[in-house]
Amino acid sequence: MNEDESAAIAGARQEPACGPDCQEALDELERFLDGELPDVARARIQQHLSDCYPCTDRATFEEQLRAIVRRGCADSAPTELVDRIRTGLRAGDLRGTDGS
Amino acid sequence: MMSEVGSPRGPTAPTGGPVRQELSDAERSRRFEAEVLPHLDRLYGAAMRYTRDPHDAADLVQESIAKAYRSFHQYRPGTNLKAWLYRVLHTTYLSMYRKQQRRPQEDLQDQLDDFSFYDEIARAGGRSAEREVLDSFTDDEVKQALADLPESFRVAVYLADVEGFAYKEIAEIMDTPVGTVMSRLHRGRKALQKALAGYARERGLLED
Repeated sequence: MNEDESAAIAGARQEPACGPDCQEALDELERFLDGELPDVARARIQQHLSDCYPCTDRATFEEQLRAIVRRGCADSAPTELVDRIRTGLRAGDLRGTDGS
Repeated sequence: MMSEVGSPRGPTAPTGGPVRQELSDAERSRRFEAEVLPHLDRLYGAAMRYTRDPHDAADLVQESIAKAYRSFHQYRPGTNLKAWLYRVLHTTYLSMYRKQQRRPQEDLQDQLDDFSFYDEIARAGGRSAEREVLDSFTDDEVKQALADLPESFRVAVYLADVEGFAYKEIAEIMDTPVGTVMSRLHRGRKALQKALAGYARERGLLED
């Protein structure tokens, strides 16, 4: 991570909800929810969340937002496209849009 | 079809397991159909986020599948097929569409550091619960909010939040450092929340 990126993330700290544990939890919340924290840090945040309702409420909100994005972006490939690809594959003639 | 004998083998080839070069064309087609085609819906969803147009998305998927088929021998059984397919989709998108674009890569101009959707709802002071606000968004609004993000942010958020890829996988798919992925995700998610907050404000769920 370069300095600008570190600064961008550090600069985005939210107000502590109650104490230093909350500040750490909020700072690490994104990586925690992304499953990107090392075990020890993850366990510490998990423990804090189980003790702190305000932080849990924020974490739940962020999780629900992600679920809404996931739901909103669920698309199905058009049948025509799937048929075209499947037919091409079975005929041993799978072409790209440029005919190659 | 080009002979695959003597094709370079990737440095990450796992030990053991069949190597695709040894497969007959028929067997290769059968495995490709069984392993790759189940990903078509998701790839199309991703292509829609990249191109923001159904016709272009179908073209992008078709071209990506053709490319994936031609280079299927480079894919190692037991490694991450899904990430490999998205890498193919990403590079295919760049070659098909990026060169059409004259503009440099857009950045997010908004001041996002101080923005918190959660706090905005809290400020609305019980006029609406968080859940009520979130449930009010239609799928079209979510798609539009994402579509309005600059490409590199839109793709990072999509790959993480919809496809569930890890930072390292996104970095490989987008060919960018992990730190850049984290920064794009952080700012992209904030911008997405800000756009959604705008929709909530329009329908009176948040204060002006």
